[in-house]
Amino acid sequence: MARGKARTALRNVDLTIQRGEFVCLVGPSGCGKSTVLNMFAGLVTPTDGTILHDGRVIADVNTRVGYVTQDDNLLPWRTALGNVELALECKGVGRAARRERAFDYLARVGLKGSAELYPHELSGGMRKRVSIVRTLVDDSVDVILMDEPFGPLDAQTRLVLQDELLRLWQGTGRTIVFVTHDIVEAITLSDRIATFTGVPGSIKQVRDVTLPRPRDVFHIHETPGFATIYDAIWNDLREELLNERGSDAGA
Amino acid sequence: MPARERHAQAHEAWAREQSLLLDEERRSAGHRRSRTLRVFALRIGVLAGFLVLWSAASGRLIDSLFVSDPISVARSFIQISLDGTLWWHLRITLLEMTLGYILGVAVGVGLAIVVSLIWRGEQIVRPLMLGVFAIPKVALAPLVIVWFGIYLLPKVILAASLVLFIVYFSTLAGFAAVNRDLVASVRVMGASRAALFLKLILPSAAPYIFSAMRITLPGALIGAIIGEFVSSNRGVGFLIAYASSRYDTAQVFAAILSLLMFSLILNAIVSRLEKYVARWRSEEPQWGPA
Repeated sequence: MARGKARTALRNVDLTIQRGEFVCLVGPSGCGKSTVLNMFAGLVTPTDGTILHDGRVIADVNTRVGYVTQDDNLLPWRTALGNVELALECKGVGRAARRERAFDYLARVGLKGSAELYPHELSGGMRKRVSIVRTLVDDSVDVILMDEPFGPLDAQTRLVLQDELLRLWQGTGRTIVFVTHDIVEAITLSDRIATFTGVPGSIKQVRDVTLPRPRDVFHIHETPGFATIYDAIWNDLREELLNERGSDAGA
Repeated sequence: MPARERHAQAHEAWAREQSLLLDEERRSAGHRRSRTLRVFALRIGVLAGFLVLWSAASGRLIDSLFVSDPISVARSFIQISLDGTLWWHLRITLLEMTLGYILGVAVGVGLAIVVSLIWRGEQIVRPLMLGVFAIPKVALAPLVIVWFGIYLLPKVILAASLVLFIVYFSTLAGFAAVNRDLVASVRVMGASRAALFLKLILPSAAPYIFSAMRITLPGALIGAIIGEFVSSNRGVGFLIAYASSRYDTAQVFAAILSLLMFSLILNAIVSRLEKYVARWRSEEPQWGPA
């Protein structure tokens, strides 16, 4: 938070996430969804209340999470392979082992041939794949936080990456907490969707997404039950968005 | 609009954009080649014009005792090159400069690392560093000679003093400019303090350090020459002072010419090194100083 006037970003956020669950957080911009992720990563300490990971309070940087943000956050002087290896290097995995693992994971997202390329030589979608794979390659990571990871991508790359993410995640037993603005994206990906209110953010409603898995990302809107959940989420959100507009007009 | 149709449209737009980009690339490559050729020709022209002007003015507008002329300078340059005088002096200056440069860069970067590790270290020593940086090093030359004798050491120290501060300030600027989001993401990976520094902070400051290294290269030469001017019986600085005391202007210019060529070679070496170390950067630098 910037120096000067302090502001309450979040209030009374109470959310329990099961191991292996895919949860999306949606809500108006600036409602503190990202702050929730930062707190879980241990990068921001809550002024009040606690956050538990596996029953332990998060007091310092949480190295059992992987973090994928809107920016790729790749080191520009390392190749795709080098960037994926970085996570393993930090955990002290030996050179040969980490090279093999990193390479294997890059191959899973079709980047085998691009392993030796630098980030500026990769497309936006490829960079995003590298930053996702970088979190998955580390076995000690059991929660992956994603803050609007597909926001800057074009509509098609976005769909392709949603599909890849689901396939990478399925069966790994890892937990994903995913912030997005896009209701369709939230429904496509998640088991549960938590809708946030406007500032100060709190959880307004949590809804289960019962659409069967594996899901067809490209035809999700044709799946029976899609319209119902879409309307429900949209109803939860609409009020908050209208409030946001009202307060903008007032200011 | 049905989703499928929307997909098709978006795909078409994407393909169109790609082909346009390719076109642009092809056109600009040819353009660039002809442009560099023209720039090169203009450079030669400017140089030739300067030499002609110099020749014409010497002896007519200005006493040739003061400015000599291009032909005499060339003759003197060839003479001192062939009889070994130039190389003998240049070798000494080169040694002083190289040692001073290495010392200056090492101490500059080292000091920046040390003050970054100490709580508020940079702020505490800032007035001191800025103050010493502001002293004209020429003014210190006589003192340095008194302290460190008349041989190699004082020249090395003077050369280092002209390198150290700029490298120090640049390195700190590089540390400060490290991307906070990258720091957060590397910390979440479980990096230790040392790993964070070696794997993220130092490499991201590298462009800053390299640009300071290029800027200070002439500084190291200046330091060595100043030292030789003040007290010495060898080195290119001595050669210049000695020739000037005999009113041998041609030789003064010949010695200066050797320094000029020497600097250009050094600059080329550092640029090549910089390009190699920064090979991960795209053609258009996206961040850090160019």
